[in-house]
Amino acid sequence: MGEMNVIGKRMAMTDARAKVTGLGRYADDLSVPGMLYGRILHSPHPHARIRSVDTLAAEALEGVKAVATGRDAPTPYGILPIGHDERVLALDKARYIGDNVAAVAATSPEIAEEALRLIRVDYEPLPAWFDPLESMKAEENWIHEKRAHNIEKEYHHHFGNVDEGFAQADFVLEDRYYCGEVTHAAMEPHSTLAVWEPNERLTVYSSTQVPFYLHRTLSAVCEMPMSRIRVVKPLVGGGFGGKSEIIPLEVAASVLAKKARRPVKITYTREEVFYAHRGRPITIVDLKLGITKEGRITAAQARIVQDGGAYCGYGPVTVLYSGALLNALYDIPNVKFDGFRVLTNKPACGAMRGHGTVNARFAFESMLDQIAARAGLDPVELRRRNLLKAPCTTPNGLRVTSYGLPECIERVAERSGWAEKRGKLGKGRGIGFACSHYVSGAANPIIRSNMPHTTVNIKIDRDAGITVYSGASEIGQGSDTMHVQIVAEVLGVRPERVNLVAADTELTPVDLGSYSSRVTFMAGNACLNAARNMRAQILGPVARQFDCETDDLEMRDETIVSKNGAGVSMSFDDAVALAMVGEGALVAKGTYAPPEQARGGKFKGAGVGPSPSYSYSAQAVEVKVDRETGQVKVERVVAAHDCGRALNPLTVDGQVQGSVYMGMGQAVQEEMVWREGRLMNPSFLEYRLPTTLETPQIESIIVESIDPEGPFGAKEAGEGSLAAAIPAIANAIYDAVGVRITDVPITPERVLAALRAKEEAEKGGAR
Amino acid sequence: MTKELIRLKVNGETHELAIAPNKLLLDVLREDLGLTGSKRGCDDSSCGCCTVLIDGMPMLSCVALATSYQDAEITTVEGLARDGELDPVQEAFMSWGGAQCGFCTPGFLMTTHALLEKNPDPTLDQVREALASNICRCTGYTQIYESVLAAAQKIREKRKNEIAISK
Amino acid sequence: MRPFEYGNPSTVKQAISLLGSDWEQAAVLAGGTDLISLMKDYIDTPKRVVNIKSISALRGASEVNGGLRLGATTTFEDLFENPAPLRDFPSLRAAIDGIYSAQMRSMGTVGGDLLQRPRCWYYRNGFGLLALDSKGQSLVPHGDNRYHAIFGNAGPAYFVSPSSLAPPLVALGATLRIQGPKGERELPVAELFRIPRHTGEREHTIQPKEILTEILLPASARRLRNATYEVRERHFMDWPLATASVALRMEGRRVRQARVVLGQVAPIPWRAEGAERELAGKTLDEAVATRAGEAATVGAHPLSKNGYKVQLVRVAVKRALLAAIA
Repeated sequence: MGEMNVIGKRMAMTDARAKVTGLGRYADDLSVPGMLYGRILHSPHPHARIRSVDTLAAEALEGVKAVATGRDAPTPYGILPIGHDERVLALDKARYIGDNVAAVAATSPEIAEEALRLIRVDYEPLPAWFDPLESMKAEENWIHEKRAHNIEKEYHHHFGNVDEGFAQADFVLEDRYYCGEVTHAAMEPHSTLAVWEPNERLTVYSSTQVPFYLHRTLSAVCEMPMSRIRVVKPLVGGGFGGKSEIIPLEVAASVLAKKARRPVKITYTREEVFYAHRGRPITIVDLKLGITKEGRITAAQARIVQDGGAYCGYGPVTVLYSGALLNALYDIPNVKFDGFRVLTNKPACGAMRGHGTVNARFAFESMLDQIAARAGLDPVELRRRNLLKAPCTTPNGLRVTSYGLPECIERVAERSGWAEKRGKLGKGRGIGFACSHYVSGAANPIIRSNMPHTTVNIKIDRDAGITVYSGASEIGQGSDTMHVQIVAEVLGVRPERVNLVAADTELTPVDLGSYSSRVTFMAGNACLNAARNMRAQILGPVARQFDCETDDLEMRDETIVSKNGAGVSMSFDDAVALAMVGEGALVAKGTYAPPEQARGGKFKGAGVGPSPSYSYSAQAVEVKVDRETGQVKVERVVAAHDCGRALNPLTVDGQVQGSVYMGMGQAVQEEMVWREGRLMNPSFLEYRLPTTLETPQIESIIVESIDPEGPFGAKEAGEGSLAAAIPAIANAIYDAVGVRITDVPITPERVLAALRAKEEAEKGGAR
Repeated sequence: MTKELIRLKVNGETHELAIAPNKLLLDVLREDLGLTGSKRGCDDSSCGCCTVLIDGMPMLSCVALATSYQDAEITTVEGLARDGELDPVQEAFMSWGGAQCGFCTPGFLMTTHALLEKNPDPTLDQVREALASNICRCTGYTQIYESVLAAAQKIREKRKNEIAISK
Repeated sequence: MRPFEYGNPSTVKQAISLLGSDWEQAAVLAGGTDLISLMKDYIDTPKRVVNIKSISALRGASEVNGGLRLGATTTFEDLFENPAPLRDFPSLRAAIDGIYSAQMRSMGTVGGDLLQRPRCWYYRNGFGLLALDSKGQSLVPHGDNRYHAIFGNAGPAYFVSPSSLAPPLVALGATLRIQGPKGERELPVAELFRIPRHTGEREHTIQPKEILTEILLPASARRLRNATYEVRERHFMDWPLATASVALRMEGRRVRQARVVLGQVAPIPWRAEGAERELAGKTLDEAVATRAGEAATVGAHPLSKNGYKVQLVRVAVKRALLAAIA
């Protein structure tokens, strides 16, 4: 590929200046003349029939301009075509504390709140379900009448033959793992400004990761054609999956705006954000693993129950990921998976960074260490002995095109000092190791079609400025910068010449959104194709003028020159002017659709898991455990991530470190605590996000396997490292104090209980 | 509710405003003065996104009543750059990846600015202690630590040069 | 936030005249980090808010007759910047050091620390201080009580006293000055706290028309060996899971008299008298400290989910004692 000038360089993000000056605008920073303030009335009951909603008094209050109930927007929706079970405002039933019942738009926030207090809702409370294992036994009072026994979906997959596999094993282990519920906690609370335009169109500015899905849903619920709705994504203050579904306020603001024929803004309080949720579900994993005495995995069997909350959301996808990605990290010939997505009367869970894979990976990587101990093997060596031989296709149909895991393992083992440290760090200190992987986007779109997943346009006009139009959504991960880098590299210009217009459905072609780590791979490839197309348009006339082949030319340093150094030299501006003769403005298009062979098998549920490419991670964590208090301190993390090629090492490092951090939070301190459907800790004071004091400098190592299909060889960087962090910490605790914690978060309470149990077992053994 | 007339000095400019006594400083900055750089991330003084400097001290504008700070010098993120030139802390957060989604960034910048005013040569541990009440959900803090240490170095160099020139 | 009238007095007397006869009438505002949060959630809805930060006499730390005087609105930052008056009181320093946040240090006041309301999540979720359900039953014993009291929890109160400064102040024998319409009274810090017996009773004995003005430590307290140890789940923006503060009158290496006060484990700062008895007359070493830690847990009644706190008390007391003689 030759020397590159922009790709692979540490580059400040293109929107960094807007962010450090405070001048960049997020949704809640926007206001327009005549804007109303919207507020939503939430159900105080976890499960209740709604007999009536009386809004007369609220409507009569001075300053109230619109009041909406379920009847104003009865069309059901949901992120998956198979799960249209939500209404923006409940029509017949409230299904969780916090469910949306009515909405008000008024001239001030105070009046809107007062109006909410005037709304009378007649509820008939119903028996409610909170425990997923109880809920799936329910014979009556089902949360959705059509979902028998409160089971949203179940899947049963079997590849190879696990019975035979376990029969070949010398060591077989079974255990249960429990993961508490965690949430995204993006720093920006959700916010939506819906503007009813004088020409009877609707413009919606929203904190979303998925403008296109929002666009579709608004069209359905507001009963307006998509062509009359415009969705614009301003700066978004973090998503992590929490903004990758349609969030009720987005629809409520639009419904109110249409009803009041005025602009309406709704911004959630932090408490509302917690209840809007869509985070990682409580997960119970029953895992069974077999290995030979040489350390080859012969079979893996998992039964996974996820507590999905009251609506479908991404649920079926979440549970399918937990099964599908048992594969494609190691070479496992026999795999059986039984997955259950269960409904309960709590806020809906959904996609959260590492979607579906994280809790299953915690169980798997924990058990690898347990079984390594049983077999007397070094945990790293056990992992080495089960590597895939890529390129390959796994038994469940996942195509692995590039595989940097071996290098990740070796580099982490070396940098962390694994061999010298394991079991030798001294009192209360330990080191743990784990691996993980993730998709670079889903090969099959949520809404099945054969259209490309993304399209990017590029325009160059007489100013010789390059404008790139992409629907991809920057949410802090570097999407915008990635586009600019690719175009600047291909056209041989300075990044400053490239301007990006992104995520505005009126101006930019469709991209499916920022989720499942798809943007770099998919929008990046579309952008690369568009740039190559543009390059051809510029080079063609130059080649003709100099009577050479376009292949003889290259674009760099804002000029077009001959590759062999002879003859041609023309400035970028002149070349553009030449190309525009008889053509006018130059426009180029690029698209991306995953290749057919990446799209997986044909069995039920085969659509989830396939990706054009997978990222790989390995991590080592050192912890200090206070035996007397049970406190765990993470002291060092070394994380290697195979991202194919680091288009921007600065942002890749940031993504890897951020993923590790989020995993660390889930591992030792974050948990949503529920009491009969009520969240006990809906604030940052009580939902314990790690602060700087708990977060050491995270040492990230970039591994570049150069994927054959990724843009410049790039693949996923933003999620894959999360899952390894949790088991690496659990494994380090085992190394430190000899107790195996199978429940997360690993609180002082749990560590103390495990230490006590160990002491008692040892006493018992001595007797 | 009856409004009262207050005087607030923000980023060197004095404003006269009619506000209700229960109006938070954060809301006055964002709504009345159009200074939307300061963010509301929580509602209970637990995230640091709304941090502004009051008489040079980092404080949380989301639990401060505007009316209580009439005699104070208030600095927001919009007041950090001087004559279009970014503060070294802003420069460092740009080049070292200190800002990802950027929502917590203004708060971090203000706390960092206050730290480096007091201690332009902090150790990593001192940085971690000083920033403990600013939460970032994106970066895992590592690039923020690097940004702060880089800013500190730049400030030290700048001061050294200034001293050299004045000599 | 509900609308309110705002008072900005410059003297304590003016401030008192603005207060009301019950808590609904008026609230005293100092740093505001807790009060404003409670008001935003409609848990506290005073009709008037009286800002006492403009009363300059209330702020500042100084040595008085060899002892220590802390004005109620002295900020943590004031103490941090000028720690001289705190010399001899490592137990107070440790409690203040536990407040890592730059913002909290600039805003938070020592009086506010003592008078902050409990962090109990039932209380913060709007179920009231006693966390009662619609039938008047406490939600705590059968609910999630992992952070609740293990002492003084016979009911109806189960929350824990959240103050960081109270354990060391009680251990050191500090007193408070409180001013009201009828003048000034002085009381031991321990007597500021009580276990509420019914709805409507607050966890503080201060009256609605009174203002906490200063905290006083006698000169004799400077001769006590003292230390505080906090066990935390998260380092900042969190309250410790358990705290022990000790103050020891020593004779050489022997403890003549000990005060051991626990924080975050009872609705009030909790005197661990068993530990105090265990220590009296002993030469303090690790074995004695361990026994004292054990004695401190006598009388603990853990709820369904907070048994682990008993162990934390054991350790906190032991470590505080060892720190005091280190």
